[in-house]
Amino acid sequence: MKLSTYVIRRILILIPTLIGLTIIVFLLTRAGGTNMIIGPYLNPRLSAQQQLIEKQQLIKQFHLNDPVWVQYFYYMWALVQGNWGLTKTAIYTGPVTTAIALFMPNTIQLAIVAYVIAMFIAIPSGTASAVRKNSFVDQFTRFIAFVGISLPVFWLAQILAEAFATPTISPSLNIFPLGGTVDANLLVGQSWYNQYLGISYPTHIMMIDALIHGDIPVFISAVRHVILPAATLAFTSIAGIMRYMRSSMMETLNQDYVRTARAKGVPEKIVIKKHARKNALIPVVTVSGLLFAGLLGGVVVIEEIFNYPGMGYWTYWAMMGLDSGGIMGSTIVFGLILVSANFVVDILYAVIDPRIRLGE
Amino acid sequence: MVEKKRNPKLESFIITMKIFLRDPGAVFGLVVVMIYILIALIDEFDPGLIGLTDVNSLMPNYYNPSPLPPSSQHIFGTTFPGIDLFQGILKAIRLDIGITFFVVGIGAISGILLGLVSGYFGKWIDEIIMRTTDIFFSIPFLVLAIAIAFFMGRTILIISFALIIIWWPTYARVVRGQVLYIKELAYIEAARASATKNHKIIFKHILPNTLAPIFVQFSMDLASVALIFATLSFLGFVPTLGGSSSASSGGYIPELGYLSSIGYSYAVVGDWWTIVFPGFALLLFALSMNLVGDGLRDALDPRFRR
Repeated sequence: MKLSTYVIRRILILIPTLIGLTIIVFLLTRAGGTNMIIGPYLNPRLSAQQQLIEKQQLIKQFHLNDPVWVQYFYYMWALVQGNWGLTKTAIYTGPVTTAIALFMPNTIQLAIVAYVIAMFIAIPSGTASAVRKNSFVDQFTRFIAFVGISLPVFWLAQILAEAFATPTISPSLNIFPLGGTVDANLLVGQSWYNQYLGISYPTHIMMIDALIHGDIPVFISAVRHVILPAATLAFTSIAGIMRYMRSSMMETLNQDYVRTARAKGVPEKIVIKKHARKNALIPVVTVSGLLFAGLLGGVVVIEEIFNYPGMGYWTYWAMMGLDSGGIMGSTIVFGLILVSANFVVDILYAVIDPRIRLGE
Repeated sequence: MVEKKRNPKLESFIITMKIFLRDPGAVFGLVVVMIYILIALIDEFDPGLIGLTDVNSLMPNYYNPSPLPPSSQHIFGTTFPGIDLFQGILKAIRLDIGITFFVVGIGAISGILLGLVSGYFGKWIDEIIMRTTDIFFSIPFLVLAIAIAFFMGRTILIISFALIIIWWPTYARVVRGQVLYIKELAYIEAARASATKNHKIIFKHILPNTLAPIFVQFSMDLASVALIFATLSFLGFVPTLGGSSSASSGGYIPELGYLSSIGYSYAVVGDWWTIVFPGFALLLFALSMNLVGDGLRDALDPRFRR
């Protein structure tokens, strides 16, 4: 199979997945009942009788009396047009799409930092445990990997918050602030920061914007705010990436060309670094994106505990405020992230390893 | 060696056990898991044995609500409102373990059945079932569980249902992969040639040979489901226990994630024990379950049998 054929095939598989994703979310919103769908649109200041009339109008507007499959088409049409409904939470009230535009950049920043941390720890330790199989290093990283997949995320976040951000418990270790993405006092009067919405320009990602405008104190503050939630998120995925790196590295070390390099008398360090690790990294880097995206749901807990205003924080408040628009919007966004990660990984894998597209 | 009548199944089981018991981590895990199950069973049938009275309630003490540090009277201290953490954790284990086994059990059975059908019959059945698993894999676990519980209600049944919905696809895929491999083997062909019925081939000849990876998956999932369930309660999806028990508990249901969430506002002002112990109880269970799973993987993998 040619690569282009494979890509087209993969895109065709994408379509039923996306339709399925929207069907699940659609069915869930309908399972919640009429009040949950029209709730955010009702005007609480109206009298009971007026509300009743408004309710009837809304039911008509959302076609809630039509058959379910007709409702689904209206729902999809609205989604495609970018009309994702309203969200009413304690932290934000307005269109769902605007809320996503507000909160998503912060989660992207958190995810990038977490991914970098995870890779920086997982790759060297995975390599080390493959090179020195069954040594102390191997046993230790194995243990850490087990703890990593067994730790309750909320617990790790709480412990880190206690240890590094709570003056009453650890005054000497209280080095990270809790809450927000940046110390807003540093940004008073900055033209590239909107105090009211709490977003920066042009990318909306605080760390990058601070660098673009050359504002080092703001950058440092942003890093200090993101490091604890990012470390928590990273820790959840380190285990998977590390074990994957280990097995990939062991497979590579058994390859003929590695034996050849050793036979030629290439120093072991260079064999490992240049010959083996580079090749072992390729599948790990591709798959790690998918592993990471699958665990991204953890931000709901992590951002809530660290009061970090991202998608997860918004999801949490939507949950608390019985806000169906927020839950629907965030579920679709998290779904889209995972689906696209899956898609990209599959394509990358086919590019790297032609056997994949030749198979079947 | 004296030749005896050999029982290959028994021998295989003994080898598996020997390899399993050689791994100290796995043995440790198994012992801890056994203790947890024992506690859960005592909670269910004879709570008086370990000094518990009402296992459905955390028994708040409103006369002395603020958290007290660990002491001889309260080994793990107390959390708001005056709940003894040690007793609370012992009670919480029942709900956590019970739900976890229930969810993974039902999820595994339905996943195995669908995987068998999907792999054995292939064609459009396979396509439909596998595309469905794709869809469920397209939303992160936690987010999907939140969405289901949010829209459908917060009873214990709905939350279990949400977790089952999330967990069956894994089994369907694992089993399907196994079936695709096994059904090409000569002995299945022989069974088909001798006109054996489909259901007999599936359940008698294929199913037993798919079980090894299922056991591994099962034990690892017991850990993940316990974690997700606790996380959901931590986030506020506290399951309500039906009947009078929930009324008498005053809304305080024994659950590890929930215990942790009560403690949080006290932990940030210095009462560390309110979150450390409940979370550690959960970590210990999940860690042990994962160690058992890893030990099982080694023991059931033919490559390790020497």
